Amino acid sequence: MLKAVNITKVFKNEGTEVQVLSKISLEIPQGEFLALVGRSGSGKSTLLNVLSTLVRPDGGELLYNGNKVTAMPDKKLNQLRHADFSVIFQFHHLVPYLTALENTLLPFMRSIKPASREMVDKAKQCLERVGLAGKENRLPGSLSGGEQQRVAIARALVKSSRILFADEPTGSLDKATGESIMHLLGELNRDGMTVIMVTHDPEYAQLADRSIHMEDGRLVS
Amino acid sequence: MNILTIPLRNTWRKPTRTLLLLLVFTLGVMAIVALYQVSLVIGDGMEKKLSTYGANILISPGQEKLSVSYGGLHLGDMLYELQPLSEEKTVAAVRSIELKNRISAVAPKLVTMATVNGTPVAVVGVRWEEELLIKSYWATDGAYPEEQNEIVIGRTAALNLGLAQGDTVRLFEQPFRVSAVLLPTGGDDDNVILVDLGRLQAITGQPDGVSFLEVAALCSGCPIDDIVTQIRAGLPGMDIKALSNVVSQRMASIHFVQRLVLSISLVILVTAATMVGLSMLSAVNERKKDIGLLRSLGYSKGRVFFIFCLEAGIIGVLSGILGYFSGFGASFKTLSLLAMAEGARPVFEPGHLLLTCGIIGLVTIIAAAYPAWKGASIEPSQALLAL
Ligand SMILES: Nc1ncnc2c1ncn2[C@@H]1O[C@H](COP(=O)(O)OP(=O)(O)OP(=O)(O)O)[C@@H](O)[C@H]1O
Ligand SMILES: [Mg+2]
Repeated sequence: MLKAVNITKVFKNEGTEVQVLSKISLEIPQGEFLALVGRSGSGKSTLLNVLSTLVRPDGGELLYNGNKVTAMPDKKLNQLRHADFSVIFQFHHLVPYLTALENTLLPFMRSIKPASREMVDKAKQCLERVGLAGKENRLPGSLSGGEQQRVAIARALVKSSRILFADEPTGSLDKATGESIMHLLGELNRDGMTVIMVTHDPEYAQLADRSIHMEDGRLVS
Repeated sequence: MNILTIPLRNTWRKPTRTLLLLLVFTLGVMAIVALYQVSLVIGDGMEKKLSTYGANILISPGQEKLSVSYGGLHLGDMLYELQPLSEEKTVAAVRSIELKNRISAVAPKLVTMATVNGTPVAVVGVRWEEELLIKSYWATDGAYPEEQNEIVIGRTAALNLGLAQGDTVRLFEQPFRVSAVLLPTGGDDDNVILVDLGRLQAITGQPDGVSFLEVAALCSGCPIDDIVTQIRAGLPGMDIKALSNVVSQRMASIHFVQRLVLSISLVILVTAATMVGLSMLSAVNERKKDIGLLRSLGYSKGRVFFIFCLEAGIIGVLSGILGYFSGFGASFKTLSLLAMAEGARPVFEPGHLLLTCGIIGLVTIIAAAYPAWKGASIEPSQALLAL
């Protein structure tokens, strides 16, 4: 379970401080499919990034399974990011000089020991699952935006992490591909993965177990 | 696919940058290796040349000296009878020490007095071949003796005795031909008559006897003290002196060359290292987003640091190999251009190659340490920055 208590975040922009998150409290049980909706600039991405440990909050506390994430030593935090959490960025983010397969395997290329045969096979399966069979050895530059997004999703899949954070995973996809991705997220969720997704599309928000609406850094329902 | 994939791929992603860095470092290593090899060979040649400007070790019979003074009046030193040394044994002892290949010349001498037309003069018996190795600064108006009855006279002695090149002179009741008169040397040689040692030993009735020996030792790479100690061990009871003045002067010029090479190498290394450091720094800035992504995937700071150090290390080791071989080739070329090798050639040693690669690899890694640390301290949130 992921729990946020009174999270605040302030950004400084040219001297003026903007409160992007104001005292947000939130509980997300394991296995939930949660949608974050709201107007552009309301703080959805910022909240998601605080929850996924990518951005440090200025106040409040984040607890994962009862452990204070904000007070975790680096080693534990790295382990958390490696094993438990997966992030799909709003601007799908791949390492440009690694192939689709290598990008998918990136979480398992942390040491001198090469990624195991098993892992490589699993990565190939995941790429197949997002519809990228045969494009394993392509560099991101030669993939379309939607395909890059799907490599990022495959990377989250291969880790079989506990929580998937997705910032507008369908943002750069056409209707059909978007739907297939949503279908995939639903499948993962049914397998037990917590999915926290930011979306603009009310139709996709409908697919979630719960929708949270944000306005000016606050939760309103 | 492991952590090495990341720096390796990135190295090939920017071929121009990689090749430029590689070129700079390879040229640097090449210059250093060439300089080092040339300095070794030249240092050796230089020392051989320098050793012809005099001996640096003196071997004489152990002297029992008695200082006599009475009532506050110093009456001088009384020397016991000096026993001549055995030429054969002493030379053999010097030639058989452990550092024997550092000995370039052993010149035995027998000193005695004689009269020529009623004028007393010192006569020194020498082995011409060895003597000329030490006294290459000698110049004469004639040729050095080839026959046992030929002699060379020092300038002052020749004037005092009224002798010139080509004259015949009676010495020890025997006729000798003056084959040459030495041009002034400014040293003791100006006042003496130089005779073949074997001949003098026969005349004075002490075959194999010598008064003292001068030794020229090459001292780069081994201290003169070691050579002296070894000779002393082989010749107990004898007086063995290192003319440290001669040695230190000689070594100073060789050390100067070595220091020059060292400082030039350092300048080259620092310059190349700075290039790598700067290039890595810009690489880190360029890749903030990638680093943020790796961090968000659970890569620790240490792993990110490792990736960047490795990237620099790859360039270091590659240029170490390339630079070593090209530097080796360049040293041949340089030596032939300078015409200073005198037969000596640079020697290839696999150990040196490994050492070079190791050192250069280390230097690049050290140069990359700061940028790598900068990279490692990038937070995962940097992955969110839109480019
Ligand atoms: N790094 C930052 N520095 C300064 N201000 C920031 C930063 N990140 C976000 N903001 C500001 O915080 C506010 C919330 O941004 P956020 O990205 O969370 O919005 P969002 O709800 O995800 O919007 P969108 O739907 O357009 O993605 C915005 O006003 C934005 O300008
Ligand atoms: Mg957003």
